[in-house]
Amino acid sequence: MRALHTAATGMIAQELNVQVISNNIANMRTTGYKRQRAEFQDLIYEHVSRIGTQTSTQGNILPVGIDLGGGVRTAGTPRVMTPGTVMPTGKDLDVAIRGDGFFKILMPDGTFAYSRDGSFEMDAQGRIVTAKGNVVQPGITIPTNASAVTINAQGQVSATVPGSTTPTVLGQLTLTRFVNQAGLLSIGDNLFTETPASGTAQDGTANSDGYGDLLQANLEMANVEAVTEISDLIAAQRAYEMNAKVITATDQMLSATSNMMR
Amino acid sequence: MENTLLIGLSRQIALQRELDVVANNVANMNTTGYKADGAIFEEYLMPTAQAAGFQGADRRVSYVQDRATWRDFGSGPIRPTGNPLDVAIDGDAFFVVQTPRGERYTRNGAFQINAQGELVTNTGDRVVGDGGPIQFQTTDNSISINPDGTITAREGSNSRNDSARGKLRLVRFDNVQQLQKDSTTLFSAPAGAAPQEAGTRARVKQGSIEQSNVHSVIEMSRMIEVTRTYTQITAMMQQFSDLRRSAVEKLAEVPA
Repeated sequence: MRALHTAATGMIAQELNVQVISNNIANMRTTGYKRQRAEFQDLIYEHVSRIGTQTSTQGNILPVGIDLGGGVRTAGTPRVMTPGTVMPTGKDLDVAIRGDGFFKILMPDGTFAYSRDGSFEMDAQGRIVTAKGNVVQPGITIPTNASAVTINAQGQVSATVPGSTTPTVLGQLTLTRFVNQAGLLSIGDNLFTETPASGTAQDGTANSDGYGDLLQANLEMANVEAVTEISDLIAAQRAYEMNAKVITATDQMLSATSNMMR
Repeated sequence: MENTLLIGLSRQIALQRELDVVANNVANMNTTGYKADGAIFEEYLMPTAQAAGFQGADRRVSYVQDRATWRDFGSGPIRPTGNPLDVAIDGDAFFVVQTPRGERYTRNGAFQINAQGELVTNTGDRVVGDGGPIQFQTTDNSISINPDGTITAREGSNSRNDSARGKLRLVRFDNVQQLQKDSTTLFSAPAGAAPQEAGTRARVKQGSIEQSNVHSVIEMSRMIEVTRTYTQITAMMQQFSDLRRSAVEKLAEVPA
């Protein structure tokens, strides 16, 4: 019976759904994390009797047919790129983006990655780097003796050096945006890379041309909502159970058949 | 003579088909834009013997056969996702999708953008707008989709004005039951069922998707009904088989 396999595809799909949800919940407190959603599609149909088949020589046709479906498959797990809540942290080099855009980060292999996680640090040379030590573009160096580092809404980084009363502008952080943010590829460490689906990276400056503005001493939290995830989890678990019930029902019917002959 | 068995068999086959339909609905409980199926059965009257020599006419025997699967085109719950490329239809209409096999129709509005900047479904088939595929520029941002399906975007250099990127084509059918399922939540229209423009009958909602319209309680109760009926039929066939066996044994008992 087909129902056995159909229900099995349903169980596989719900298992994956739970996996996606559990990853969302695990990253509930990850800075700049964007939740994922599992997307499903139905499988091919067997047209046991096809709509529009001629049923008589008078040209009568079947108005409805018999279509038996084969189950479900996972179409994808797109990310939901809604903004997360912004939390004040009080740390100078924590930056949150309010609006569109990603920080551009130089990877050790020379390629660029993009992130919404603005929890930056200063390395031994005074450069602004991510928690993993990768340089945030365009590579701004803060003099070791500087104090009072400020990052304004446009992304301008300035600091006061000894002997000067006015702050010196050290550089401006680059923001990048994409046509289809959901098409970015996640590579872990809160980083994304460009893909054909995301479109090409468009560099710009914060607070202009529709790019978001920056908020110093704040961080963007994950956009995972506990209530949504838990209700999704319940729905997925119930769906899994119901698919299992279908398998039990099929099994009962098959065993009734096999017990018919005594 | 074997009519009881054959009638039972026809019912069992029909029930197995019905369970297949239920299983597919349950498997697609979380599929975006999925429409539930149902099975319709009909009576099939066995033609009787036509010979004139019988004392009484043959009794007509009726079998059951599955005639059709129908589709519940009621709309599923609309769920906000926050993704600008997710679109749900509010009303009686379908999106038009260009596939290699021809034009297809869908209620699944979880769209993406492909490498050429075109709006596609999540299997990569182009979504059809009023003037062909909907094309975005690489510098576009802030895509917005209006209730009437008009798509606008802001170009990177010009952040003040929205420029039009096309309009989603929404179509409807006089008889939606004629549509055939074509996997990946697409429907195909048979020859003669021409789509009509939906006009004001439907609106779209950006940032939402339409979930599956499968009602789990109904599917579960149908499943219980199917299994119980199946067991009953099996018991009936078994009783008939016992009856026949004892008849054979009794009749063959030759008095010594």
